[in-house]
Amino acid sequence: MTPAFDPPLPGTILAGGVLAAAASLWLLLPNGPDRAGSRRLGTLLGLLALGAFVVTGRRLGGLGEEAVFLIVSLVAVVAAAATIVSRSPVYAAIWFALSLVGVAGVLLVLGAQFLGVATIVVYAGAILVMFLFVLMLAQPAGLAPYDRVSNEPFLSALAGAVLLGVLSLSIGRLSASPPACCGLPSRARAGADAAGTGQPPPAAAVADPLAENHVARLGGELFGRHLIAVEAAGVLLLVALIGAIAVVGRGEAAQASADADPGRPLR
Amino acid sequence: MNAMQSLPMLQNALTVGALLFSLGLVGILTRRNLIVMFLAAEMMLQGISVSLVAWSRHHGDWGGHVLVIFVLTVAACEAAVALVFVLQAFSRTGRLDAAAWQSLREATVGRTVDRELPAIDAVPPRFPTLTRAGVLPPPDENEPLQREHV
Repeated sequence: MTPAFDPPLPGTILAGGVLAAAASLWLLLPNGPDRAGSRRLGTLLGLLALGAFVVTGRRLGGLGEEAVFLIVSLVAVVAAAATIVSRSPVYAAIWFALSLVGVAGVLLVLGAQFLGVATIVVYAGAILVMFLFVLMLAQPAGLAPYDRVSNEPFLSALAGAVLLGVLSLSIGRLSASPPACCGLPSRARAGADAAGTGQPPPAAAVADPLAENHVARLGGELFGRHLIAVEAAGVLLLVALIGAIAVVGRGEAAQASADADPGRPLR
Repeated sequence: MNAMQSLPMLQNALTVGALLFSLGLVGILTRRNLIVMFLAAEMMLQGISVSLVAWSRHHGDWGGHVLVIFVLTVAACEAAVALVFVLQAFSRTGRLDAAAWQSLREATVGRTVDRELPAIDAVPPRFPTLTRAGVLPPPDENEPLQREHV
């Protein structure tokens, strides 16, 4: 369990996985004519990369939890990759919806019940439908040329691989002990220290201190400690609403005046 | 003790978050369609949300959850405003192409020129074929028109 005794092999597998993921993205990203061979090779490399990440993942406690986490995270990641490589933006939006379902599953496994449901409701239910409306309004007929080419797919995949490699490296080096400089003022730990005079806390509390009365306590936290921020977020929503309406109106006015006076340049 | 037990879960969830964030980064760097770029940005936010909730669980603190709620709020605002701008851009250029606005680039950056691509009809979209069942409906003359937009 302690990372210090891990052999160097997982690091090698992980590095190979990151490189395979980058190569797979480079092959799969839309780049001119559709080639079945490169697509097949890219899919194979993507599966290899996923396998590397699955193999090097830390073992969780129970088999059931592990299986559920594996399935939902695979759904999230595979659908996310399909979002950015699919040529049709409509399919990209639908893959993104599936990725959101996976992310909601991951949040549920992590014990964030409210956020899992809110992700589905707000993202898949509202934001994504707005995207599809805009696609309906703005999609040209057929597959547009700019959907079939990418800007610098090789360099972008390389940048993603570098970021992913650095993040995986730092994630692998995480240790259970808090950083030496500053002990985190975690209230759960403070409570455990205050109450724990040799008595171990109950097993459920150890597994997830936020699980009990989850939504009620989240609401209490949100509307207690963060009340000002909630009010500010409400104002932000209102400003965004009014701003969107204002921009639409102004754009239509500019369009009408440009139609009336074709000599005037629009841009 | 709590931190010790939830460390593997933290690392796995952070890995998922890192994967989502990196995929979103690649998408926003490389795709040309404004809407797909925007989806990639939302995907980066999803990666951040997963990481925040994982840290929240690890430390037994509500901060991550509250921050994710604000991320959701700001993402909704951002989507509303940005999609209006996307629609405006589309109504001015007739394209959802980021390169349509390359006249805004730096003076030292070269112009993006598309390579020659085969005609659009050369790559027909593939639709799923369904098993026929029931009564054959009357032909819908709008159907080919709607399929073109997928």
